Amino acid sequence: MQKIEAIIQPSKLDAVKDALVEAGISGITIFEARGHGRQKGHTEFYRGREYAVDLLPKVKLELVVSDEMKDKAVDAIINVARTGRIGDGKIFISRVDEAIRIRNDERGEIAL
Amino acid sequence: MSGVTARGAYERRMAEIRGHFESNGDGLRAIAARSTLVDDLVLRFWSDEVRDAPALGKGIALCAIGGYGRGQLFPCSDVDLLFCVEKGMEKPAKEPIRRLSQSLWDCGLQVSLATRMAKDCERLDEENPEFALSLLDVRWLGGDEAIFSQLQDKSLAKLRSRDGRAIGVALARLTLERHAKFGDTLFHLEPNIKDSPGGLRDVNACQWLHELRTGKRMVLADVAGEISTSSGQRSGDQAHGDRFQGGEIRDAVAFLAAVRCFLHYRHERDDNTLDWEAQDAAGQQRIGLPGRASEGVDAAYWMRVYFRHARLIDKRLLREAESSGLQVETPTVVKRLRIPDDAGFRIKAGVLELDPVRAGGVDVALEPEIVLSAFRAMAESGAILAQSTEDRIVQAIPFLSANLEEGPGLWRNIASILTGRQAGKALRAMHSLGVLELILPEFHGIDALVIRDAYHRYTVDEHTFVLIDTLHGMAAEPVGVRRKGWGKEAGKDGVREPRQELEDWRVRFGAILAELQNPALLFLAALLHDTGKGRAGENHAAESTGLARSVLQRLEMDAYECGLVLRLIEMHLEMSAAMRRDIFDAETVRAFAGKVQTHELLRMLTLFTYADIAAVHPDALTPWKAESLWRLHMGAANQLDRSVDEERVHARSLVGGAGLWRKDEKIARVLALRHGREAEVELFLEGFPERYVSTRSAETMLQHFEMAQRFDEDPFQMSFHHGATQTGSVVNEITLVTSDRPRLFAGIAAALAAWGMNVVTADAFANQAGVVVDTFRFTDTFRTLELNESERERFLTSVRDLVAGRTSVEKLLSSRRRPRRKAPRVEVETRIEFDETASTHSTLLQVVTQDVYGLLRAISATLSDLGYNVEVALVDTEGETAIDVFYLTSGGRRLTLEQEEELRVALLGAIEKNNHG
Repeated sequence: MQKIEAIIQPSKLDAVKDALVEAGISGITIFEARGHGRQKGHTEFYRGREYAVDLLPKVKLELVVSDEMKDKAVDAIINVARTGRIGDGKIFISRVDEAIRIRNDERGEIAL
Repeated sequence: MSGVTARGAYERRMAEIRGHFESNGDGLRAIAARSTLVDDLVLRFWSDEVRDAPALGKGIALCAIGGYGRGQLFPCSDVDLLFCVEKGMEKPAKEPIRRLSQSLWDCGLQVSLATRMAKDCERLDEENPEFALSLLDVRWLGGDEAIFSQLQDKSLAKLRSRDGRAIGVALARLTLERHAKFGDTLFHLEPNIKDSPGGLRDVNACQWLHELRTGKRMVLADVAGEISTSSGQRSGDQAHGDRFQGGEIRDAVAFLAAVRCFLHYRHERDDNTLDWEAQDAAGQQRIGLPGRASEGVDAAYWMRVYFRHARLIDKRLLREAESSGLQVETPTVVKRLRIPDDAGFRIKAGVLELDPVRAGGVDVALEPEIVLSAFRAMAESGAILAQSTEDRIVQAIPFLSANLEEGPGLWRNIASILTGRQAGKALRAMHSLGVLELILPEFHGIDALVIRDAYHRYTVDEHTFVLIDTLHGMAAEPVGVRRKGWGKEAGKDGVREPRQELEDWRVRFGAILAELQNPALLFLAALLHDTGKGRAGENHAAESTGLARSVLQRLEMDAYECGLVLRLIEMHLEMSAAMRRDIFDAETVRAFAGKVQTHELLRMLTLFTYADIAAVHPDALTPWKAESLWRLHMGAANQLDRSVDEERVHARSLVGGAGLWRKDEKIARVLALRHGREAEVELFLEGFPERYVSTRSAETMLQHFEMAQRFDEDPFQMSFHHGATQTGSVVNEITLVTSDRPRLFAGIAAALAAWGMNVVTADAFANQAGVVVDTFRFTDTFRTLELNESERERFLTSVRDLVAGRTSVEKLLSSRRRPRRKAPRVEVETRIEFDETASTHSTLLQVVTQDVYGLLRAISATLSDLGYNVEVALVDTEGETAIDVFYLTSGGRRLTLEQEEELRVALLGAIEKNNHG
């Protein structure tokens, strides 16, 4: 099993969710996140006042999928979240040892 | 008796009780029957123990306490038993009590046992007030009756007399904490039938408070009484018990009892959550409703019945607490008000009471003006209504309805209520008494309405009140660390307080609230924004807008106010929708700003969106969302000032075209209103900035058109609207329609300054033919125009003289007094910016500075003196900050860099001079 963590633009969330569902993945966890990578902050003026914009709003998705679904999920995210501009986000993948469904103690991929 | 036999018998009888409940729906009977069944079981097991060890027959009394003591055992409720023992019996009783407990558990009962000597029950344990409360319901089951008498007549009598007050206080605290867990409202989409405000726990609290105060037990319903006597056991003081007043409360208790039984059977455990599936099933099975054999009802109707009953219980508890001098609501700091003797009501110790009816006199409860004034005082002070006043208002509703006058007077009252710091409290009271529906029947459709979605926690009406509370909470001063968790919602003054992590955002957005010119309009839009949910249509924002339109017509609000309120309601989801797009994308911001069009609407929409999200449920608004909202607000505000000159009307190209969008519909309407003169109207509208069209009603544009047709009679066409105190803030409006000429804008600004008028907003637009429409909204510092009607004509004449060049600014200024300058509360640093990219043919100048008297005159005079032409002007005030935007040309072209620099220096000098002049 693989855990996929993806940091994406908030505006892409709905499209990414739809793409994942279409790819056959329905269980995802979503976090509201803030941060920046190479896309650094800047200063904005609003009606004569100055506001620092150093961290940008992002959405973080977490999903755990079977090994064979990994590429499908990653492709689904990339296809819709990519605009080609700085700030599109990143995907991190790591191995998961076990999954347990709390309700009935099912284990392994069946618990996903 | 063997455990297996006992369990079998218990289960068979339980199945019978369930069967009866399912056929007759009588919850009170079902809980009484289970209580009797458990009595029999306990006594049988205990008699087995006494048979084996006869010494147990003396010195031990078996008592039922808590709900079991009241003779009310819901299908899956715990069984609370007290063994009252005399000294020396604790040890011999220990093992038999353990066996009894084991036998009961083996039968499937959840048992809680306590063993105490009578004298241990004489004092309140501060750490465990729940035990003292459960003792108030003590009932003798069996064993040594003398011991029970000692407990009842001596120990508990002492407890009541010595610690009765402290028990009441502890009960009030527990109730307060429990209510706070539910956000202090009973209007939840999935309420807890036991613990939510208005639930069965509140029924118990009523009974306990009543008993502590009067020494008499409050009897719920006849069934409970029957059980206590029919089983031949002695109970506290039921024979002398007081009954709940009125059949309504009895019906409410019977309803809740039936629902809780239904939930226990459905969930097969002590789970009292009335979730959506349970609501559907309860409606289908007519739980708690008469006519069980009839067809089921839909869940929305059934839930309204539930809320009606819960509301009664909630109110009853408030009254009981009030009679006991205790507070079971989040305490409110009641603001002291000076109320005139002839107001028709008074406020004493935080309770508002209408004056009594004097012999031969008129009942003030029949006077709409007095009743609404009372609610105004309530909204301002946070006082509550006395029970007698509530009763009188309810009875007076038909008369109030007949005597109610609509129009500006009613709007003045509504506006005062809405802008009172405790508006939510007053509105809830008006709603529950039927006064709100009387003045706004449109609100009826969302009364206790449950709309199911995964996010909302409250009914639609309660969501609306929470939204209004949230808006008022934004105006509060910044605070330090507040308590976290559920209790975070209601502060000590009763106004909703935000979570600590949102405090910075609340303060930042709250500053916008202070900038609104007429906050009552925002609150009115908030009150009406979801009324459309009570209708069948797909788009509730459109439905609400339609309903609001009829309200505004009845209140006879002016076109400007109507436009703001209606657009706010119509667009109330737009900002949330825009936040789901890329708010860093210029196109998203441009599209959103294009819909909003004005700063005032943007400010209102931003505040509305903030409060609307926060009112969905306590955790819905996160710092993340607040930040996104702020970004969008900032981006749109910047966009609004920078796009005006480019986006212009081309009326001719629209006529006859397909798929006209909203703004063009308005133009089409103007054309339709002057059927036969379309060509002239088109010519007039051609080339105006779109902002002009979107911020004026069709009727207003038509009025400007007519004015432009009268240039032959007078080339300076002027209209004046005295903002006759709709809401206390008097904003006058003067509009000048004339041919474009130098110094025009500066001339009006100077005339207003000379008369001591303070410009709040202004704009200046010109069409392709060079007709200008300059509009100034201003407040009258000395109330000259308000107090002296004759001065209005002199004022208008002097404005006309000045723009026509018949008199000079200097002459006018020398004869006038200047308002005394007050020290500013906030220092605003002056910033002057130029933007050459905002327009293809003009230069944008933005001046942000301290708003002081004469500022606009100083700026516009400087522009005129240097020979610059004002193509478009947008003048705005935010609190003490003036934000003035001008699109300038010099000889029909943009300004050069040298000219910009020269202008910057000149403006800084003029502003400085005006500040110290």
